Amino acid sequence: MKRDATIQRPPAEVTYEAELVKLAKGDEAPRPPGWRLSPRAVRSFILGDEKAGVRRKFVGNPSLVDRAMVALATNRGLILVGEPGTAKSLLSELLAAAISGCSTRTIQGSAGTTEDHIKYSWNYALLLAEGPTTRALVPSPLYQAMKEGAVVRFEEVTRCPLEVQDSLLAALSDRVLAVPELDGEASMMFAKDGFNVIATANTRDLGVNEMSAALKRRFNFETVFPIPDMQTEIALVREESTRALVRSGVSKPLPDDILELLVTTFRELRAGETADGQAMERLSTAMSTAEAVSVAHAVGVRGFFLGDAPTASDVVECLVGAAVKSNDEDLKRLRRYFEQRVSRREGSHWKAYYEARHKIPG
Amino acid sequence: MTVGTLHIVGVRHHSPSCARLVAHTIREARPRFVLIEGPSDMNGRIDELLLGHELPIAIFSYASGEEVHHASWSPFCAYSPEWVALEAARETHAESLFMDLPAWHEAFAEVENRYSDRHSRASDRMRLLCERLGIDDTDALWDHLFEQPLAMNALAERLTTYFRELREGDDPGERDRERERYMNRWIAWAMREAGDQDVVVVCGGYHAPALESAWRAIDDPQRPETPTRRGLARLGSYLVPYSFHRLDSFVGYESGMPSPEFYQRVWERGADEAGETMLFDTIQHLRRKRQRVSPADAIAALTLASGLKTLRGHAELARIDVLDGLAAAIVKDALDAPLPWNRRGRLAGGTDPMLVEMVSAFCGERVGKLARDTPRPPLVADVEEQLERSKITPNRVAAQVEVPLVDPAGLERSRVLHRLRVLGIPGFALTRKPSLARAETQLSEQWSISAQLDAESALIEASAYGATLEDAAAARLEEGIRNAAGLRDLAEILGEAALVGITTLTDRLFTEVRRVAGIEPSFGELGGALGKLLALYNHGLLLGTTGAAILGETIEAAFGRGLWLFEGIGGSAGAAEVDGALALRDALRLGGAKLALDGPRAEAVMRRRSADPAAPPTVRGAALGFLWSTRAEVDEAQAAAAVRGNARPELLGDFLTGLFALAREEVRHSATLLGVIDDVVVPMTRDDFLIAIPSLRLAFSYFPPREKEQIAKKVLTLHDATGADIRSLTKLTVDPGVTMAGMRIDAAAEALAQSYGLRDALDGRDGLVKESP
Repeated sequence: MKRDATIQRPPAEVTYEAELVKLAKGDEAPRPPGWRLSPRAVRSFILGDEKAGVRRKFVGNPSLVDRAMVALATNRGLILVGEPGTAKSLLSELLAAAISGCSTRTIQGSAGTTEDHIKYSWNYALLLAEGPTTRALVPSPLYQAMKEGAVVRFEEVTRCPLEVQDSLLAALSDRVLAVPELDGEASMMFAKDGFNVIATANTRDLGVNEMSAALKRRFNFETVFPIPDMQTEIALVREESTRALVRSGVSKPLPDDILELLVTTFRELRAGETADGQAMERLSTAMSTAEAVSVAHAVGVRGFFLGDAPTASDVVECLVGAAVKSNDEDLKRLRRYFEQRVSRREGSHWKAYYEARHKIPG
Repeated sequence: MTVGTLHIVGVRHHSPSCARLVAHTIREARPRFVLIEGPSDMNGRIDELLLGHELPIAIFSYASGEEVHHASWSPFCAYSPEWVALEAARETHAESLFMDLPAWHEAFAEVENRYSDRHSRASDRMRLLCERLGIDDTDALWDHLFEQPLAMNALAERLTTYFRELREGDDPGERDRERERYMNRWIAWAMREAGDQDVVVVCGGYHAPALESAWRAIDDPQRPETPTRRGLARLGSYLVPYSFHRLDSFVGYESGMPSPEFYQRVWERGADEAGETMLFDTIQHLRRKRQRVSPADAIAALTLASGLKTLRGHAELARIDVLDGLAAAIVKDALDAPLPWNRRGRLAGGTDPMLVEMVSAFCGERVGKLARDTPRPPLVADVEEQLERSKITPNRVAAQVEVPLVDPAGLERSRVLHRLRVLGIPGFALTRKPSLARAETQLSEQWSISAQLDAESALIEASAYGATLEDAAAARLEEGIRNAAGLRDLAEILGEAALVGITTLTDRLFTEVRRVAGIEPSFGELGGALGKLLALYNHGLLLGTTGAAILGETIEAAFGRGLWLFEGIGGSAGAAEVDGALALRDALRLGGAKLALDGPRAEAVMRRRSADPAAPPTVRGAALGFLWSTRAEVDEAQAAAAVRGNARPELLGDFLTGLFALAREEVRHSATLLGVIDDVVVPMTRDDFLIAIPSLRLAFSYFPPREKEQIAKKVLTLHDATGADIRSLTKLTVDPGVTMAGMRIDAAAEALAQSYGLRDALDGRDGLVKESP
């Protein structure tokens, strides 16, 4: 794919093309068959490498990335699970881009996903004209990945019905896809070296379509947790929201005390625990870092366009609108959080935040 | 004259690699002295350490005086560099000496474990290094850099660089500086004494850079004295058995290296065997704990661990490779809490049981044992003395002993016995508790006392908690507080503490108490616990717990937590919640002045809850009762309005239950409230009344019989029936259940009659009832 400035969001292999080329050039470490980069180079690509001038792209436990890569190299499927907004898809995209040079072989799981989306379907005009031939076969991303020895991504796998998920079984365990309509060699699609599956699943959806034990056994589960360290999270939210604000025509970043309010609130309501260890109830909404960035963006837009500068009261309003999503129970928890926790914090920005609590509806 | 060489080996405590380096250095140098970072008060008795104990053991140091109460451990296991130094010194006929300040010195205030590694964990530079190398934490960093097979000189060089980096630019603080000054005096003396022979120094790597040359500045060095401390009644050090469990940082408080079992294997069998045997033994351990681990999982675990080893550039399986490999292969679901080895400290709540068991397998179960001729720890003698002073003589045949609590001698006796019981010393069983019930008041206890063969070994084990019976029992309870899962546990332990003498508990526990209160999930449990704590705090005259600081602190923490939980009660609420609200109210009433209880916050919570339409009626009633009984701002008129607002038959009884429970006195003295309730109840239809009556009965049960009679009198006045017998209302001749059943049958009959159009017959219902036999 060529770089095109009008594309809203180019895939990772395009965005970071220069870094990938640089890493490939200096890469002498052993690499598993079918991989474009060695695992160490993949690691540098994802976790950053100051010396090589590679930016860190995933903020999380380095050992998680290690385990993920080793799973992929030992031919077990990898499934990344976690709360929404914990950068599972980002990690899967980066892994696919670095290992196979292509992150767009992706199946998007949904309630409407069928076996055809996973395996293959037919071009019916050709099928009628020629009968079942390889030309008439419309390959799925999985089929292509097996053929080319590449990584295929399966997003939100647990959104698919169980029987559809299970059509992955043969591809994962026997590394083969049967095409009974075709004859001869074409009837069995054997996966080339380098083929593997990275699935992602949302812990909030896990109960909806619980995976079969047979499929679970073929995957390595890796849980992606929210960013453990507050300062890292503030830095990330600052960086991302500033970028988003610039795109919206706001040149000033959010002030530090506003960021502190926002990120502290998100972290405490997400973890169900205050910074000093008092347990409380979590919100049913996922208070992810991604969500914090979008709220920070909204706060900035609101504050700079509708007022002089963002205030604590803007945070409350955006929090309610964007994050809590008018769920009654959550609003109640939010009110309780304000009344009993925010009220006891020191600092003028916390006081202003507390004063703005009447903006919470109900 | 030739001068000997000084070899400084900076180590991480409990590191097998460092232990190897220490042994190597001593064997090569064959020094005159081996100076070890350890309590110098043990110097006369260092031979005690080499009597042939089963490791792990620890030197336990204690000190107590009026203001000070200190206990600390210097633990040793087979792969402790300090331990290996002692052994190698003996082997090479060098004299080994401890060169650090004793544990009771001010430099060690608040330090419980001499060999914990607080420096490396607190270091920002190390954190940055981890980040740069893409390593989770300092433990993994250490394994990566040092616990892999390395040539001795490469290891030594690398360690020196690492510790320089750790120390560089870090302010050690006055306490560490004082220790280093003292250690330098030892080095200066030893160097002079050794003449042309060498001296080896084994110390925490953080101190190593500061010991390299500062000793040269000391003129005319003398052998340092062991400092004592004024104002301390008792102090000393002695050997105690220790355990891997306590060594493990995942469990222990302020510990050193994690996963002792793993490193024990690295020490015994080498890094090449340790990883693989640990992996398979962990799988065996999981299977023993009835977790399913298939052979395919085992193969996958080893494959993944080996893959991680290669990826991370390790020559042999590191601890984290094995753990990560096991987790990747065995965990087949989303996790609720992060992998325990990605961070230090207590296991997070919600950690997967498989992971908990893995951590426990890596910790191991090894328990140390002292050699037979080790001098007995002072606890054994102290217990003998205490028993003699209390005139308790255990015999082979168990004797029943009555211990009165009202006289000081009896109380002291009871405390001694309770302390022995808390420490789990066999032969001391409480057979009857004192009773404060009115009918059978018995202010004495009954004990069954006997001499048991294993009592002494239990005492030696318990001596790791303290040097005296009092200290040991208190430390044992403190450990319980640290492991408490909620306020109920906490109240129970503090109840025990009351029995062994509550003043022995230290103020250090305040943060622990707050932590435990902060995680209590249940308001009902909290209420029960708070009630007990209040009783101890206010009426603990017999046991001397009145006004105890630790109780006050716990009550404050529980009160704050209670307000938070009370605000969250939804769905249904019952007696437990009412009792909880009552306990909160009592805490505020009885302790408000003495304790830092936040009255305005409590009032705000109660105001919100009493006006919250979504709150259970009991909670609304209790909140109103709380306000009415603590603040004058709620008056009868408001209460009356609230009763009318909760007049629906399915709500009324529950609401009144909450209200009566908390504001019984106010309700009783109110001139109008009863009238309002009457107004609400009288117009109820029979069906409504049937719905309302069970909870109404419960609500009025909060009044004692005498007050019930007064209420009955008022009710009769309201209905102009002053002449009627009050007892006809308060004392039913029929069981209320029968009356209720009768009313239900009546209602059913009525409905049946109505369905057949027999409405007329019902007009004469009263007559019918009268005529029926």
